[in-house]
Amino acid sequence: MGVGAALAAQSSPVYIGPRVAVHLLNRIGFGPRPGQAAEILRAGLDRYIDEQLDPSPDAGLDTRLRPLTTLGTSLPDAVALYRSQDRNIGRFQDEALAAKVIRAVHGVNQLQEVLVDFWFNHFNVFLGDGFDRIFTPFYEREAIRPHVLGRFRDLLGATAAHPGMLYYLDNYLSTISRQDPRTGVLLTGLNENYGRELMELHTLGVDAGYSQDDVVNSALCFTGWTIDLRTSGQFVYRDQNHDQRAKTVFGLGLPAGGGRADGERLLDFLAAHPATSRRVSLRLLQRFVSDDPPAALVDRLAAVFTRTGGDLRAVMEAILGAPEFWAEAFGSGKPKTPVEFAVSAVRAVDGEVANARPVVAAIAAMGMPLYQCVPPTGYSNLGRDWVNPSSQLARINFGLDLAAGAVAGVRVDARAVVRSADGDPDDPASAADALSADLFGRGLSRATRDAAASVSRSGSVGVAARVAGLVLGGPEMQAR
Amino acid sequence: MSWDVSRRVFLRGAGLAAVGIGMAPSALLERTARAASLAGRTLVQVFLRGGCDGLNLCVPYADGQYPGLRGVIALPRAEVLDLDGYFGLNAALSPLKTLWDEGRLAFTHAVGSYGLSRSHFDAQDFMESGTPGDKATASGWLDRTVAAVPGSEVTQAVAFSAQLPRSFLGGEPVLVATDLASFDLHARGWRDEAERTLRAMYDARTDVIGTVGKETFAAMDLLLRNPQVLAAPTGGATYPAGAAGSGLRQAAALLKAGLGTRCIFVNVPGAFDTHSNQIAQNDTEFTRLGQALFAFARDLGGLLDSVTVMVTTEFGRTAYANGSAGTDHGSAHCMILLGGGVRGHRVHGRWPGLSKTELYQDRDLAVTTDFRDAFAEAARAALGVDPAGLFPGYSPGPGPGAVA
Repeated sequence: MGVGAALAAQSSPVYIGPRVAVHLLNRIGFGPRPGQAAEILRAGLDRYIDEQLDPSPDAGLDTRLRPLTTLGTSLPDAVALYRSQDRNIGRFQDEALAAKVIRAVHGVNQLQEVLVDFWFNHFNVFLGDGFDRIFTPFYEREAIRPHVLGRFRDLLGATAAHPGMLYYLDNYLSTISRQDPRTGVLLTGLNENYGRELMELHTLGVDAGYSQDDVVNSALCFTGWTIDLRTSGQFVYRDQNHDQRAKTVFGLGLPAGGGRADGERLLDFLAAHPATSRRVSLRLLQRFVSDDPPAALVDRLAAVFTRTGGDLRAVMEAILGAPEFWAEAFGSGKPKTPVEFAVSAVRAVDGEVANARPVVAAIAAMGMPLYQCVPPTGYSNLGRDWVNPSSQLARINFGLDLAAGAVAGVRVDARAVVRSADGDPDDPASAADALSADLFGRGLSRATRDAAASVSRSGSVGVAARVAGLVLGGPEMQAR
Repeated sequence: MSWDVSRRVFLRGAGLAAVGIGMAPSALLERTARAASLAGRTLVQVFLRGGCDGLNLCVPYADGQYPGLRGVIALPRAEVLDLDGYFGLNAALSPLKTLWDEGRLAFTHAVGSYGLSRSHFDAQDFMESGTPGDKATASGWLDRTVAAVPGSEVTQAVAFSAQLPRSFLGGEPVLVATDLASFDLHARGWRDEAERTLRAMYDARTDVIGTVGKETFAAMDLLLRNPQVLAAPTGGATYPAGAAGSGLRQAAALLKAGLGTRCIFVNVPGAFDTHSNQIAQNDTEFTRLGQALFAFARDLGGLLDSVTVMVTTEFGRTAYANGSAGTDHGSAHCMILLGGGVRGHRVHGRWPGLSKTELYQDRDLAVTTDFRDAFAEAARAALGVDPAGLFPGYSPGPGPGAVA
């Protein structure tokens, strides 16, 4: 829908500035903190966008993460931890999960956190699986985070060679066929898992037209790409395990004796393939614009991807330059995934996360245990896939509890939130209007606003906590 | 997809309803629950995500090819419980042996479809939509099944799953939940006010978010009015941890509560995608699956006669082991059937054999029963549904004869 048409569809006066600012914060971040929409509007949305596209050091966040001491564990130490079945593995995982929530809630570089979440899903690994119990946080930190505003080829290459991915998709076990010394029978060493998902999920997409033979040959390219599981936990290339034959993958011819270059050249080829630009563009637009982005927009973005050689910062700029992105400010919005909802709720009431565990648990109860998507497809980017009664009730309850200060580990002062939005914390109507203006650009519907405003003035739970709780649990908060 | 409005009965008073998310936002419909006049059975589909290896579940251990094909992942004789002299049960599933001996349990081997693809995503999509090769199908096969239940005033479908399963996509109401026991509003000290206000907010909205809000409160009503839905298991049944145990435990309680539930889906996102270390991984998952199905049977007791369970997966795996003590994506899989109407104590289907020429593309167990025939047979036997309209573009054949 064009911006003009979207505006025309509004039936009541639209406060364009605040609505657009809220939209921006909802789309390239995890939602506004109290007062934030007005603040970025004053300073200029362009300036906010520039800051988000060039993340700077966040000392405040570093301070918050300091108590999570296992975050500083080295990879060899983590491997030793895993091997010894130390019960500190649990703490290691807890702190990785807590860090993700704390970063999303409190991090200044919101776009970076959104992109890390997006690309982790795209290159999904599963925290619950064997060595990935310890590899996963390293994987996110080392293979994903540094590249989210860099080049796609670098991101792809980093995931292909990281122990987290090598373990998850079993490539560390995949080797050239060997003759069994006892029987003389040739035993295959290959497994197709990574070879297939690299093409199906990470790059080309399942409809690109590659064959079963291409899957096998793709897997052969990565034989020898393995992990030193005994000590360092690092990637290691073992040439003696590599299939040195000439091979063709989806039209790419690789001569014999390629060694490690087989895999690298395949990654080059796949990263530059038009099907990859289209697929990546579609997925980014599903995250940032709409569950069903217009085909023309996908094409335009794919052209940017191709023209810039997979420059993800340029691609992000192109998304932010698209009228379709901004038109969404006036639509009904995209349903939030559980992590988007929970984090946006905590931010909306200026929650201070002292202990992230209950928030981590709540997100899991909503159907999205973080880092724990089992299949390599990763969590869906489509908002509509997350809408169901079970998740909905968990969200409503989380919102009600949060505003009342009843989510352990998160400090919330609903009265202060209402006051900071120029509302009267003892007057339901005033509180509802204030929250609607500050957090939604006056986007609460008449029905929501009136319902929230109708709560009694007295009760065991304060007016501000009840009104804020209802707004957090209400329909508008479920979309972004 | 057309609506037959005459079949919907509008209820006054009891207020039982649960509305699913479909392609078209649906109006809230209410139906009567007449448990006493329940005709036919309930169909329960347990879906194992990841491509469960049928050859490691119902094992052709007596076949001369088996040890060579499976190499390091061939099961030792001691880890196989003989079923019929040719097939054996993976010992990790030992509780199922009891049900087999009692004649309640059967398998259908070599089920699948060559149109399914070896991609998890596509294969699940094709199997759940019931249209292999076609990604544009708007509805799921269970949605069409539930819509076709003849002469029924109650068609309540439930999915134990974190998200709405593709099988139920469509206009039919379905309750999606993971934990019925915690299905109530918090807001201590102001619960009624909270409920009233939130209902008003969601009632005013007509889009997909409004619908889910209405559903949520409808589901809450249903559960609060029928607390027996949360009753503890009976018959000495002990369910294991995990999705199969949790889903089947709650399914049994729902069935015993007699609310007229006709179709239940239990989603099991376990580690069935055994590209490596298959024996150990299958041991873990099969142990839970076997315990869950056994507990379900004991929990239901005599009521098992009115429930037909089918356990399915999106594809089987390679007959050959790969280089990582595992298997890669294959074609034909093995279904488990349990309960009412099941011709137990048999391995159904037409066994294609394991020789090189009998394998599909030199790697997979060949498909000899199209999954649509097997699904249609179960749906007709359990629900009285006419198979003709269930799978667009396909007329189901007679089926493997596993369920009557």
